[in-house]
Amino acid sequence: MFYSTRWRLILGILGVCLLVGTVSLLVGVQLLYKAFLNEATHRVRQDLNAARELYNCRSRGIRTALSIAALGTDFRSAIRRQDTSTLINCLRRVAGSVNLDFAGVATADGTTLCRIGPNPIPGQAVQPINPIVGLAMERGDTVSGTLVLSGEYLSGENPALAQRARIELLPTPRAEPVAEREVASGMALSSAVPVFDGDELLAVLYGGFLLSRSHEIVDTVRDTVFQQETYGGRSIGTATIFFRDIRISTNVYTPSGERAIGTRVSREVREYVLEKGKRWTDRAFVVNDWYITAYEPIEDIFGETVGMLYVGVLEAKYADVRRKALSVLIVITVAGMVLAIGLGYILANRIMDPVNQLIRASTQVSQGNLSPDFGSISDGEIGVLQKTFLEMLGSLQERDKRQKAESEDMLLESEKQASLGRLAAGVAHEINNPLTGVLTYTHMLLRRKDLGEEVRSDLQTIAEATERVRKIVKGLLDFSRQTQLDREPTDVNRLVRSAVSLLENEALIKGVDLVFESGEKLPMVTLDRHQLESVLLNIILNAFDATKPGDRITVTTGMTLSTDKSDQKGVEITVTDTGCGIPPEHLDKLFDPFFTTKEVGQGTGLGLAVSYGIVERHGGTIRVHSQIGQGCTFTIRLPLGEQDKSDEDSGRG
Amino acid sequence: MKILVVDDDPIVLESCKRVLAAEGFDVTLVSNADDALDMAAKQDFDLLVVDVKMPKRDGMYLMEEIKKQWPEIPMIVMSGYPTPETIAGGIRMGAAKFISKPFTPDELLESVHEVLNLKPR
Repeated sequence: MFYSTRWRLILGILGVCLLVGTVSLLVGVQLLYKAFLNEATHRVRQDLNAARELYNCRSRGIRTALSIAALGTDFRSAIRRQDTSTLINCLRRVAGSVNLDFAGVATADGTTLCRIGPNPIPGQAVQPINPIVGLAMERGDTVSGTLVLSGEYLSGENPALAQRARIELLPTPRAEPVAEREVASGMALSSAVPVFDGDELLAVLYGGFLLSRSHEIVDTVRDTVFQQETYGGRSIGTATIFFRDIRISTNVYTPSGERAIGTRVSREVREYVLEKGKRWTDRAFVVNDWYITAYEPIEDIFGETVGMLYVGVLEAKYADVRRKALSVLIVITVAGMVLAIGLGYILANRIMDPVNQLIRASTQVSQGNLSPDFGSISDGEIGVLQKTFLEMLGSLQERDKRQKAESEDMLLESEKQASLGRLAAGVAHEINNPLTGVLTYTHMLLRRKDLGEEVRSDLQTIAEATERVRKIVKGLLDFSRQTQLDREPTDVNRLVRSAVSLLENEALIKGVDLVFESGEKLPMVTLDRHQLESVLLNIILNAFDATKPGDRITVTTGMTLSTDKSDQKGVEITVTDTGCGIPPEHLDKLFDPFFTTKEVGQGTGLGLAVSYGIVERHGGTIRVHSQIGQGCTFTIRLPLGEQDKSDEDSGRG
Repeated sequence: MKILVVDDDPIVLESCKRVLAAEGFDVTLVSNADDALDMAAKQDFDLLVVDVKMPKRDGMYLMEEIKKQWPEIPMIVMSGYPTPETIAGGIRMGAAKFISKPFTPDELLESVHEVLNLKPR
C-alpha cells in the first residue's frame, strides 16, 4: 500500500514539509536565541555601567559630605582647640547624614584625635594608621575611593565593623582553591579631607562606608536598574561587589535563600578580571543558575585591583523565549505535517481517482466489456488520457462490431457453401451409380444391329440425355469439391498466354478477336496453375457465348495495389469483351450455383460458382462490371502475400 | 480371363457384368470386401474391379488386402466421387487405373484392356 502513487505523493509532501520545518526550526530558534543573547549582553554591559555609576556616586557622596564638614568654622575652631566633644558631635552628624560606618579626625602626626564608635577617644594607644589618612596627608589633598581595611584597624575603629568584615569562605564549585578559611579585611568606600590653617596641616577628617555585608549599593542597582523585575519568583537582575574574588555584598541568593556572602567567583572570571584587569561579558554559572553576566575590576585609591563589580541577568528568561519559540515552531511544523497529509491525501485522490478509474475501466475492457464505467472526464493530462482512451474504445467497439458482422457474414456464407457442397456431393454420388446402369444398358442396346430406326433414335436420345445428366453431376461435384490448392510460384503472363492459346482456334472459328495484353514486370505469384487456368477458360468461354463474330475479347494482366481484402499488392487479370453485356438484375446472381442464362443443356450454371470458389481460396477476389449492350469486364485479383487462406476450407465435401 | 467385380450397388454390378460378359470375360460379382477376399482365396482372378465407397470395409481396405495376399492381381478402382484425393488414394493402394462413375461400356472396356494389355476388339 505504501508503494502506491497516493502514498508516494503524501510521503513526498510530508518529507518536504518535515525538511523545511526542521531546518527553519533549528535555524530560526538559533538565530532568535543569538539575537536575544546579543541584546541581553548589550543590556548587561549598560547595566554594569549604571552600577559603576551608582558605586562612584556613593563614593562622591561621602567625599562631598566630609568636605563640607571640614569647611565649617565651628569644626575648624574645635580642631584648633582640640575640643573632642564638639568634634564628635559634628562627626556623628555627618556620619548620620550620609550613613557612614566610621568617621574620625586624625592629627597631623597621624594619631586619631577622636572618632565615632564605641571608643571615641583612643588617646595615645598604639593603633594602625588609616591608609587613606596617610595618603591624604602625603598628597595634601582630598582622597576618596575604594579602600581595603584590615580586620585589626576595623576592630580598633569599631569591633562591630570588624565582625561585619569577617566573612567565612564558603566552598564554591569552579572557584580557585584557597588555603584560608575566612577573610578578616573589609572593603570600604572612603574619603579623607585634610584641614589646613594657612599652609599648616591641622588635621585630616576621614570617614567611610564598609561595603562588607552592606547591601545598600547592590540592592539599589537591582531596584533602579532592573526595576525589581522578577522571573519565576526570582529577581531577574543581580548585582554583586567582590572583595578580591569573594562575594561581600550581593543580592545573588543561595538555594537556601540566603545572600551568597562568602562564595567566590569562578576561576576563569577571576583570572580574566582580577589578574588581567579586563571586563568580562558572557554567560556564566553564578552560584546556582546561569546568568548573562558582566564583571569589571574595582581599583582602590592606590590603583591596585582589589575587587570586582558584577551585574547579571537571569538567562532563564531568554532560554524560555527560545523554548517558547521552539515549541511554537514545533507546533507549526506538526500542524504543517498534518495539513500535508490531509492535503496530500486530497491531492492524491484528485490525481489518482481518475487514474484508478482508468485502471478499472481498462480491466473491464480486458475482460471484454467495451463500455466500462469511466466516471467524469477530468481536466489536464489525465483528461486527455481519458479522452484518448475513450476514442480508442470507440474505435475498438467499431472494429469489434465490424469484425463481428464480417465473421457472421463469413460464417453464414461458409455454412451455406458447406451444406450446399455436402448436398451436391451426396446427390452426385448417389446419382452416379444408377447413371452407370442407364449409360451401360443404353449403350449395350445401341450395339444391337436388329433395332428399328425409331428405337435406335429413341435410345440415342436417352444416351444424350444421360450424358447431360452426367455433365451436370460432374459440375456439381466440381463445385462442391474443395480440392486442396496445389500451389507453386507461377508466372501469371505465361499462365494466361497458355489459356488464351488453347482457345485461339475456337475464337478463329467464332470469328471473335481474342487478344492478350501482358503487363510488364509482374512478380511470381504462388497459385494452383490448373485450377486458375480452368477459371480463366471458364470466363473466356462465357465471353465467347456473349459475343458475336467481329466482337473482341481482351485479356490483360497488371499490378494492382489492393485486392479489396487488405492493402496488399497483387496481380490483376481482366477479361473484357465487347459482347451483349449482363443485365443488372443478373449481376448479383452471377456467381450463384446453378444460375445460368444459357439455354437448357448449354450450361450447368456451376462454372462461375466454381471459379469464384477457386479465386477466393487463393485469397483473391473476382468482380464483374457490365453495361448492357457494351460488354462486360471480369476482374480477378490475386494477392502476393497471404496465400494460405485457410486450408481447412479445402478438402471440404 | 476371370474378372472379379466388387460393388455394394447391384445396378453397377449388373452393368459391369453385362458389358464384360458380352466381351467374353468370366465375370464374378460380390457385394462387399469380405466376400471378395473369400472369393479371391477360392479362385484365381486376372483382374479386380473395385468400388471405393462401400459400407463396412471399403475398397481401400480391400485393395490393401489383395495387394498383400495376391500382389500379382491388377486392380481397377472406380468411384462416383472422383476427387483427386480419391484417385490418388486408389493409385497408392495399388490400383492400375481409375475410372469415374458413371461410365459408358466403351470407357470401361478401354480401361480393362489397357490394364490387361489386351487390344480392344
